[in-house]
Amino acid sequence: MNTHITSDFTPDALIIGGGIAGLQSALDLADQDLQVLLVERQASIGGHMIALSKVYPTLDCASCITTPKMSAAAHHPNITILTNTEVEGIDTRDGVHRVRLLQKPTYVNFDKCIGCRLCEYACDTEYPDPFEEGLGAVRAIAVPFTNAIPQKAVLNAEVCGTCGACARVCPTGAIEYDQQPRHLTIHTDAVIVASGFNLNAITVKPQYNAQHSQNIISPLTLERLLAPHGPYGRVLRPSDGKMPGSIAFVQCAGSRDESIGVSYCSRVCCMYAIKQAMLLSGALPLADITIYYMDIRAFGKGYEQFFQNAKAMGINFVRGKVARIHPVEDGDLSLHVETTEDAGNPMQERRHDLVVLAQGMIPGWQPSDVTPVACASDGFVATPALTAPAATTVPGIFVAGTAAGPKDIVDTIAEAGAAAMQASQYLYQKRSAVLVG
Amino acid sequence: MARVVNTSLLQKIKKHGAGRKLDISACFNCGNCTAVCPLAEDSGGFPRRVIRMAQVGMEQDLLASEELWRCYACGECTQTCPRQADPAAFMAAARSYAIARYDFTGLAALANRSVLGNLFVFGLFSAIFSALLLTRMNAGGPDLPLFHFLPGEWIHNIGVVLFSVVGLSAASGIASMVWRFWRKRVREGDALSIAAIPGAVYSALSDALTHRRFGQCDADATTQELAAQPWHQRPWLVHASVMGGFLAMLLATTLDFMFKPIGSVVQPWYLTRILGAVGGLVCLYGLSIVLLRRAQGKEHPYKKSSFADWFFPVLLTATVLTGLFCEVIVYLPSPATLGHDIFFAHVVLAMDLVAMLPLTKFAHVLYRTLALALFAWRNAPAKAAASVGAEA
Repeated sequence: MNTHITSDFTPDALIIGGGIAGLQSALDLADQDLQVLLVERQASIGGHMIALSKVYPTLDCASCITTPKMSAAAHHPNITILTNTEVEGIDTRDGVHRVRLLQKPTYVNFDKCIGCRLCEYACDTEYPDPFEEGLGAVRAIAVPFTNAIPQKAVLNAEVCGTCGACARVCPTGAIEYDQQPRHLTIHTDAVIVASGFNLNAITVKPQYNAQHSQNIISPLTLERLLAPHGPYGRVLRPSDGKMPGSIAFVQCAGSRDESIGVSYCSRVCCMYAIKQAMLLSGALPLADITIYYMDIRAFGKGYEQFFQNAKAMGINFVRGKVARIHPVEDGDLSLHVETTEDAGNPMQERRHDLVVLAQGMIPGWQPSDVTPVACASDGFVATPALTAPAATTVPGIFVAGTAAGPKDIVDTIAEAGAAAMQASQYLYQKRSAVLVG
Repeated sequence: MARVVNTSLLQKIKKHGAGRKLDISACFNCGNCTAVCPLAEDSGGFPRRVIRMAQVGMEQDLLASEELWRCYACGECTQTCPRQADPAAFMAAARSYAIARYDFTGLAALANRSVLGNLFVFGLFSAIFSALLLTRMNAGGPDLPLFHFLPGEWIHNIGVVLFSVVGLSAASGIASMVWRFWRKRVREGDALSIAAIPGAVYSALSDALTHRRFGQCDADATTQELAAQPWHQRPWLVHASVMGGFLAMLLATTLDFMFKPIGSVVQPWYLTRILGAVGGLVCLYGLSIVLLRRAQGKEHPYKKSSFADWFFPVLLTATVLTGLFCEVIVYLPSPATLGHDIFFAHVVLAMDLVAMLPLTKFAHVLYRTLALALFAWRNAPAKAAASVGAEA
């Protein structure tokens, strides 16, 4: 736990969320010589992006783009990072935002911890690794993942048996079992909400029976399976470790579906499914890969070409919404679909080893519960001004990335830059008005 | 063949779903409805294809598609539709539209399109039958037996004419559907074998009588709504009791028509009397569940009701109730004026029911059975060919 920050600290801007949007906004503000406090709920910054394998449409390694950003933010003299910290509320009065923070105990003194991992090696308690989407195991005290920032061990009190092994081996005496949560109130002139997204539950459509098969997986799980440093180091299916020979992507499995209350499009699933299909055909050259879709939304720069390349690579695209998925013998899955391209035999029952459900993007945090920021009907932060895309309903509070609605990394970075620019412009105008007045 | 998109067809069909806020324009043809449907089979996907026909204005194909009638409105598609376009309600509206189009008199169009039209046709028939009965009605005291009050022969004669006219009207509707089906099959170059007709008719009749598909429809449903209902309130059983009860009453009436001396009073244990009474009670049970569920409007297939959805079961209930009442009063020493009035009402309602058979929702007994036969017929050669292929 970082205990250097107190309520006396008054940064120019506070950024909620240390994913790619928050990092980009923080760097863009800090480079303008503004003091930034970056608040992250997880134990490491990096957000969803640091867990991805490669990004479309360039197929660049996601870690190779995210890690330098994380590192740059962590080493920037104008950026202070608080991890394991949640925003409890924002009270805005007279243009000043009082941000109430809850710093959760990590049971490790960050000043003393040198990230040597001796505690991790000594610990004998393991639990499913959240970073690996539960596929691998992680120790109760551990550095969250290889390239996590900060490189400090964090103890999970829910699974720790307090045996004392870590404290005995720690060369710097950093383990503090008696750490307490800290409440902080930070006064700041500008806030950027970059709280990101979650995926809706994989079981949201009961017709897909995801609770009855380990081989119906989330796209984020597949990202970890595809990542070179993933849980198995190769693509194996979770139930039995078999190398899948036939993989299905079921698109719109959690969005564009009013029957589950998510009527909007998640905007990334078509493209990441195509990307994952391409990566799979590299990882498993003999596998049949099928993407079941309603329509392919390849709208960005170079996206259509990416889609055409995937078709040319031999990935099957089947137009039809999958209605039911049933587990069958050997851990396989049977998909029931009406294909509109095969007029002679439209109703098909198709069998696959592994099924990836394109879950829908939903807001990662609801600021409207604890702040004056309004959300739109879809639950994402409302951005009412067409000409100021990062402005929320509250002056001085801005929004960036998927907190404002589903979008991909390219758009998120562009929007994070815009939010930083609008925030610095707001700060400049506010302060020059004070000076003149 | 080039087709011209005609968007007015959808508007016309929407009128038949009036009051249901039918939003089928929202459909983007993802095919979820067809894939989720427990009854859609390889050879004929619905509802998606039928919706597409309506959207682009393929009216002849729509009216030739027996798929329309193979749907039993279980509501699975509506519950899972990503666009909440309510495919089940669309199918119901399209069936109502088809009933209107198969009928050449224009009365069905009038009765199916609006509440007023429906009431007008009902009023028209009621007036005609009342007028006909009034010409031979005998005035007399409360002791006058029912069949003297309204002479049995007169009712019999009106019945013969009515059945002939309705029979012709129904035959023309059936011919209209078969003709369109045939033309479509010829146009698409499908082979139909005459030898397969008896088998197809048999399969359709056995399906209609046993409710095999209807049962499959709710056995396959993953929706908790249907599964949560007790067995005696499952849609297929409710429908089977309405239909079974009705058939028993129809049989009893027909047998009486043919064998019972007109106007004679028989003992309560006379076979057709028992058949009629039991049929009436069974039918009434089914109808009461239907009306209750429609009034509650909670679960499929009773969630949304148009006027036509109400009209037919209410008319049938009124007919059965008055009929059962008459069953009792014939054994009373004196029918009294109320008895006379109810008997009069029963005769008029029963005649209305028959007269409106080809015009209202009732017409599904003709078209659904026919559609099942046409579907079996269409599939017969395909199945034979498939089995030959499998052996080879």
